[in-house]
Amino acid sequence: MVDETTTHFGERTIPLEEKQGLVDDVFRSVARRYDLMNDLMSAGLHRAWKDAMVVSLRPARTRPFAHLDVAGGTGDVAFRVLDEAGPAARVTVLDINPEMLAVGRDRAGARYGSRATFVDGNAEVLPFPDKSFDAYTIAFGIRNVPRIEAALAEAHRVLKTGGRFLCLEFSMPDIPGFDRIYDAYSFNVIPRIGKAVTGDAESYRYLVESIRRFPTPGVFADMIEEAGFRRVSHRPMTGGIVRLHSGWKI
Amino acid sequence: MTDETPMPSENAPPAAAEPLAIDPKLLEILVCPLTKGPLEYDKAAQELVSRQAKLAYPIRDGIPIMLPEEARPLG
Repeated sequence: MVDETTTHFGERTIPLEEKQGLVDDVFRSVARRYDLMNDLMSAGLHRAWKDAMVVSLRPARTRPFAHLDVAGGTGDVAFRVLDEAGPAARVTVLDINPEMLAVGRDRAGARYGSRATFVDGNAEVLPFPDKSFDAYTIAFGIRNVPRIEAALAEAHRVLKTGGRFLCLEFSMPDIPGFDRIYDAYSFNVIPRIGKAVTGDAESYRYLVESIRRFPTPGVFADMIEEAGFRRVSHRPMTGGIVRLHSGWKI
Repeated sequence: MTDETPMPSENAPPAAAEPLAIDPKLLEILVCPLTKGPLEYDKAAQELVSRQAKLAYPIRDGIPIMLPEEARPLG
């Protein structure tokens, strides 16, 4: 656990209040090319991971379904949920970064129209009433939140009883031998792709380092449980480089 | 019938000054992130006002900015 006053920004330990500003700078600098970068860095796998999360979500097809996707400004997860759910589903996308939200809002266009709405907000202090959503998703976003416990508590608060929490996050691979390949890839290849596509290697170095700082899957599952969720579980994908965490508000 | 659709006068503010309409359903589900209390929509100012927190949250390009640090403190 981090102490009260410092947190991690990649491999650096920094005062807690500075982290959000530094994270904001990373995403502001890469917003327009964020999804392209995800494709290049993960060889397209991020699509499969997000698809798997939405399949696991099983949004209602016949009833109204109120969904909240946090840290998904570009709409990548939101549009998948709308494709999978029925016509009465609505998705609210919350992101702290206005540049990412502008990309998502432009993409939603006529296809998703008013079924997707975009709100600039902070995962630690959500601007929604208690018990207002059927499900909450966060894909590759919780790692960037300075106070993870606060974000989990807010997720629990805004979910209805019976609501589902799903979180996709990178983790360290658990296959022997694969970890060295993964290290070489993440410290050499990813910053180079980042520099080539966005002109910004530093932002992608941050992304790589922040994965190493994130709690292990077991520790993170305990944090989800401490926030009040039940039937908490997690499963590895692609050799454990990504975990899908799940919990229910009962 | 007339095809004299009123054209914007030369003195009218540019189209960009016309605020992007905010989704009315969104207004129903938003609360103040600090107090979790209700918000009042000030259409002219394009702000969402939390009386309890004494803060006005701006709406930019139709997107509500629900960040306390971006909000305007009310006197």
